[in-house]
Amino acid sequence: MTLEDVEHIPKVVVVGHIDHGKSSFIGRLMYDLDQIPDGKFEELKEVSKKRGMDFEFAFLMDALQSERDQGITIDTTQIFFRTKKRKYVFIDAPGHKEFVRNMITGASSADIAMLIVDVCEGVKEQTKKHSYLLKLLGIDNVIILYNKMDKIKNDEKRYLSVKNEMEEYLRNIGIKISNQIPISAKCGDNIVKKSSNIKWYEEKVVSEVLDEFDVDSKNVLGPLRLPVQDIYKIKDKRIIVGRIESGKVSIDDELLFLPSNETVRIDSFEEWPEPKNDYFAGESIAFTMKEQIFVDRGNLVSHSETPPKLMQTFEANIFWLTHKKLNLKGKYLLKINTGEYSVSIKNIKKIINTDNLESKSSSGIIRKNDVAEIVLHSSQLIPMDDFRDNKKTGRFCLLDEEEIIAGGIVDLSNYPDQRESSVQPNIKPVELAVKEIDRSNKFNHRSAIIWLTGLSGSGKSTIAKEVERKLFLRDFNVFVLDGDNLRMGLNKGLKFSTDDRTENIRRTAEVAKLFSQAGFIVIVSLISPYKSERKKARDIRPEIFKEIYVSASLEECSKRDVKGLYAKANKGEIKNFTGISSPYEEPDNPDLILNTEDESVEKSVKKLENFIVENFSNLKKS
Amino acid sequence: MDDHLKKLENDSIYIFRQAFRSIKNVAMLWSLGKDSNVMVWIALKAFLGKIPFPLVHVDTGKKFKEMYEFREKYEKKWNINLIKRKCPPISSIDPSLPPAARSAARKTEGLKAVIRENNFKGVIAGIRRDEQGTRAKERIFSPRDEFGKWEPKNQPPEFWDQSNFNYPDSVHLRIHPLLSWTEIDIWKYIKEQKIPIVDLYFSKNGKRYRSLGDKDITFPVVSSAKNHDQIIRELQNTKVSERSGRAMDHEQEDVFEKLRTSGYM
Repeated sequence: MTLEDVEHIPKVVVVGHIDHGKSSFIGRLMYDLDQIPDGKFEELKEVSKKRGMDFEFAFLMDALQSERDQGITIDTTQIFFRTKKRKYVFIDAPGHKEFVRNMITGASSADIAMLIVDVCEGVKEQTKKHSYLLKLLGIDNVIILYNKMDKIKNDEKRYLSVKNEMEEYLRNIGIKISNQIPISAKCGDNIVKKSSNIKWYEEKVVSEVLDEFDVDSKNVLGPLRLPVQDIYKIKDKRIIVGRIESGKVSIDDELLFLPSNETVRIDSFEEWPEPKNDYFAGESIAFTMKEQIFVDRGNLVSHSETPPKLMQTFEANIFWLTHKKLNLKGKYLLKINTGEYSVSIKNIKKIINTDNLESKSSSGIIRKNDVAEIVLHSSQLIPMDDFRDNKKTGRFCLLDEEEIIAGGIVDLSNYPDQRESSVQPNIKPVELAVKEIDRSNKFNHRSAIIWLTGLSGSGKSTIAKEVERKLFLRDFNVFVLDGDNLRMGLNKGLKFSTDDRTENIRRTAEVAKLFSQAGFIVIVSLISPYKSERKKARDIRPEIFKEIYVSASLEECSKRDVKGLYAKANKGEIKNFTGISSPYEEPDNPDLILNTEDESVEKSVKKLENFIVENFSNLKKS
Repeated sequence: MDDHLKKLENDSIYIFRQAFRSIKNVAMLWSLGKDSNVMVWIALKAFLGKIPFPLVHVDTGKKFKEMYEFREKYEKKWNINLIKRKCPPISSIDPSLPPAARSAARKTEGLKAVIRENNFKGVIAGIRRDEQGTRAKERIFSPRDEFGKWEPKNQPPEFWDQSNFNYPDSVHLRIHPLLSWTEIDIWKYIKEQKIPIVDLYFSKNGKRYRSLGDKDITFPVVSSAKNHDQIIRELQNTKVSERSGRAMDHEQEDVFEKLRTSGYM
């Protein structure tokens, strides 16, 4: 037995162009099914009268004052109803184009989609946009309702021409049509009762079609996908929690964790009050492991034989929800299941005009409510599936600092799995006897690379040394790698040309990596002026790398001139001096900014200390 | 347990864990009503027997005696870290509100105070979509500004179990793990899991409470349902709305929306 197939309550969404009668249809259906609570009908009559309207079924759904006043649906809403056969949840989604994000919010959880078209007005802009969005939401089978038949005096010819247009459009975007029904929400034609007005229509009415609709539940069968939601430390146990998105997991299973690529056996399932031996898709579970390995929130668990793909660069179809412009240089936060990754957008392949499905003119600017095909890039490997293989693990959303700005589905047809691409042939790393996780458990913190970048004199070394001291007192294994000190030994002989600076950073990053493998929190204090080089440093161990921008203006740094270097550089005595005769590229999106111009050294130190403890201590939560 | 209830339970657990993981300082409202107890129960499941954050009872001082007794008993039994917060007096509440709503608004003010005093960034509340039209439009993770205000016309997108958690410090989130449950689901679950509730829900002298609020603005409905099964059967056949016994909902067309936009649950 599975979770989904018995007594599942299907969620039904109704979408379509504004004023084509979504809310009225739902209101009518509820009324004809005798599902309107006592007193509600009278209350709505009163409300309609107050606004000088005939009785308006839509008010049942449009509960907000402004919706009633403007006669439109603003936000999505949900209403429960039942037919003789089963229960349903109705999701009413707004048709106004300003509210696409609300339409997405509503429709994203639907099992059955109904597309409503006003036969008087025919197929409109939002009819097409909504159809296309349904496709992106993974709904590939719809019921079409042709509403307001009474307005065209139930004319079959007019009906057929609108129907033809809909069929052609949906065929082109690859959505199947399960049923098409001419209705009138106003008169109650073909909703629950067969219409005597639309005589030429002899097929099923809406409620019958709903009752026969087969709701898909194949997620239970597929390969195991279990995103790690959190890790709890309860008494002595380290417990992994998460919800199974597809497949099943049993007590004896060996699990593969990605992207860390480690396998481990389950030790026990944990449940209050009593655990079971098998769990299926849809269940929120908790378990412990036989061996301690690094597990992070956002890791994706599968069985070794059926892993998801690991991707750094991949293609996606997205819908853009904000009026903010897509920034090709910017970083965005990608959330996929429980994982969060920093990504950039490599290029925009195509912006789709949903009216005619052609590519929009070459402006290259994605606007609010656009749909587009783009290529994304992340410095970390992200476990995921092609949306066609697994809907739950093949979709994501993008956020900027303020809000969700886009949603998208993964298309891996043009990009191979990138699991192996970064490994060199013929060199096999020797496995370490003492694993990093063992060190981490002993030290009570994880290893980290804290990379301080900023102008000479901005305060990097001062802060690094002080944070080192404080953390050391708190029993952290911590070590500072200082650019100047390294140049006296390991990096002796390197000058300040672009090539030498690059090599300087590479070596420093490699040393930092070794320290981190030894379980240290290593604080690197290095001007590291180039974005591209800092990115390379990050890529060595992105999962523990934090870029800290120690920020102070050039004027301020020259004024401080602790080492007297700015004075010399200004006189031309030092060549390639960062800020004077060599560029400094500010970080676009550092993990932390320490502004030493406006805040005291103590404050910066405290901030960085807290940041490190927050992110890397094992003792934070119990 | 039937599969529909199982799905609701699992998704609610997921929401609890997501809230605890993503929000710094979380608390849960415990009104002592049936939905509230279901929340406590599911939170015990989500966190494997011990709820890792405080529960808050915003106390109007006008609850039924049975409710206070229940509170004392289960605070201990469920090992709850409970914050009891008294509401401000009626005289401090907007006099333009109709009387019952004005009384209910005390709770809003008590809630805002407890959020401010403890700097909560997330407050878990047991509202459901089927209770009331504006609640039907809610998000699972729903932001409130520094004055506790809800902006129903400008809600953030929320899909595929993804929400935004990055808000300015003045904002707090309301978290609604029971949003998709119905009144019947709640009753079936209470029966199935044997979750304790206050006796007032069961019929005495031909009447029972369907929804519990303050003594003076909550009224019993006519009912002969004396146990869980009878209540479930009654609900399957009734067309009377759940909150019909709550006076505050019926004073004006838009009163509930007004209460909610200014911070009511």
